[in-house]
Amino acid sequence: MRVDVQGLTLRYGDVTAVDDMSFSLSGNKIYGLLGRNGSGKTSLMSALAGYRKPSGSVQLDGEPVFENAAAMRQVCLVRHTADAADKGDKVSYVLEYGAAWRDTWDNPYALELVELFKIPLKSKVGELSLGQRSALGVVIGLASRSPLTMLDESHLGMDTPTRYAFYDALLTDFMAHPRTIIISTHLIEELASLLEEVVIIDGGRLVLQEEADVLRSRGTEVTGNAADVDEFTAGLTVLSSKSLGRSKSAMVYGGLDDGQFVRARQLGLELGPIALQDLFVHLTEPVGGKR
Amino acid sequence: MKVFRLLTRTLVTFCAVVAACAFVLVIVLTFVVSGFRDVTISGWNVLGSQVARWFLFWAGIYVVHNTLPIAIAHGRTRREFLSAATGFSVVLAVAMSLIVWVGFVVEGGIYSAMGWKADPHGSVVAYFLMFLVWCAVGMFCAAAFDRFGAAGVFSVPVGLMLVMVTTAGIPGAGNLPFVPDLPSLMGAGWHLVSVVAFAGAVLGTWVVARDMPVRVRTL
Repeated sequence: MRVDVQGLTLRYGDVTAVDDMSFSLSGNKIYGLLGRNGSGKTSLMSALAGYRKPSGSVQLDGEPVFENAAAMRQVCLVRHTADAADKGDKVSYVLEYGAAWRDTWDNPYALELVELFKIPLKSKVGELSLGQRSALGVVIGLASRSPLTMLDESHLGMDTPTRYAFYDALLTDFMAHPRTIIISTHLIEELASLLEEVVIIDGGRLVLQEEADVLRSRGTEVTGNAADVDEFTAGLTVLSSKSLGRSKSAMVYGGLDDGQFVRARQLGLELGPIALQDLFVHLTEPVGGKR
Repeated sequence: MKVFRLLTRTLVTFCAVVAACAFVLVIVLTFVVSGFRDVTISGWNVLGSQVARWFLFWAGIYVVHNTLPIAIAHGRTRREFLSAATGFSVVLAVAMSLIVWVGFVVEGGIYSAMGWKADPHGSVVAYFLMFLVWCAVGMFCAAAFDRFGAAGVFSVPVGLMLVMVTTAGIPGAGNLPFVPDLPSLMGAGWHLVSVVAFAGAVLGTWVVARDMPVRVRTL
């Protein structure tokens, strides 16, 4: 499903959550929506899902989404389960809502995921732990099989094994049923391998939209003897560095030219891809007064 | 139709079960009271004219406050939901007024057998219209509070005016202020005023909720 956002602005009183944002997603990929707290991620996804009336244009496959029945049928946004479930409802009843109201709902798959995440069907949503509620949100999102599925911080409260089970389930389901999936997360490195394209926003504005691999190639991790690393990185933009004894590792932002590759080889330095998370921090935190 | 079917199947069933339990409780209480004093009023009328309308008001609140965001989260539009909720309120009011009417029939039989006296009660149409308007006003107030927060309090006097007209035709439910005789002067024509009140509540709900945002809720 193609997503087109043009001049989108969302305000809460005096606060501008999304400020004249424009971008397009070609669809059928897993997108990472990255941003710091309060950057406007949830507001943006709320507009994409028709939860809020947008000022500007939000179109899915060329159709406006807000109060458009055909377009809204194609979308599922999960913000910590709370929208799709009432705390007094039993988990089994929450799944009934999906089965009753979503044409694309896959109930056997929903039950399979409920078992995978060990969510008790007879418990009320309000009695579940935070991690279980998040897992229930993942169940609702994935079992909806919506052409545009958005998961907003769906890992909250999940323990590590559950998070990994979530990532596996997400990738397996995406391979079997390709669609447009947008995930917002702060655990960037855990999800980095799943993301095909990254959208970074900050202060309600689009900072960057790039293929994840292209973005990674914007920086280099330089590892070797501390003195050699220091010499090599002098004059370059160093995002972060770590030292262990006489070894040092530095994250450098920006491409390297042929001469720098030759010099690195001469110094015996190892060059590797940079962590997405370090790039994100650099792009959303002003360093030396500029991004 | 999917929204209407789910609301009707689940909530009407729930409300009917609650009403049936309430009826049993009223009859038991009436027998207990008869041990201390003569029974001179209909316990079911007290429940039907005083308590039931608040129950329908709650049902209206529940539908908009709890179920509308869930419907939107499952890809339904506000327009679809509000149409379904309006239909649901009619079905619920019909079901509850019929239950009240059946309750009066059964209670009347018990009172006759026991030699007790009961005060008069309203017509089934009067109960239907009262329940209908109270449910619709519940939806209107819930939409106003959900959309405008504390400023939703301004919906309360509007809601009060709308529900006030519906109780006039039901003994024990309350009279109109300033013009208490007007309903009896207008006779069955007074029901039209309740229909207008229902239309007003539905229109108000529509105006407030048609582009209402779904806010982040915490559990």
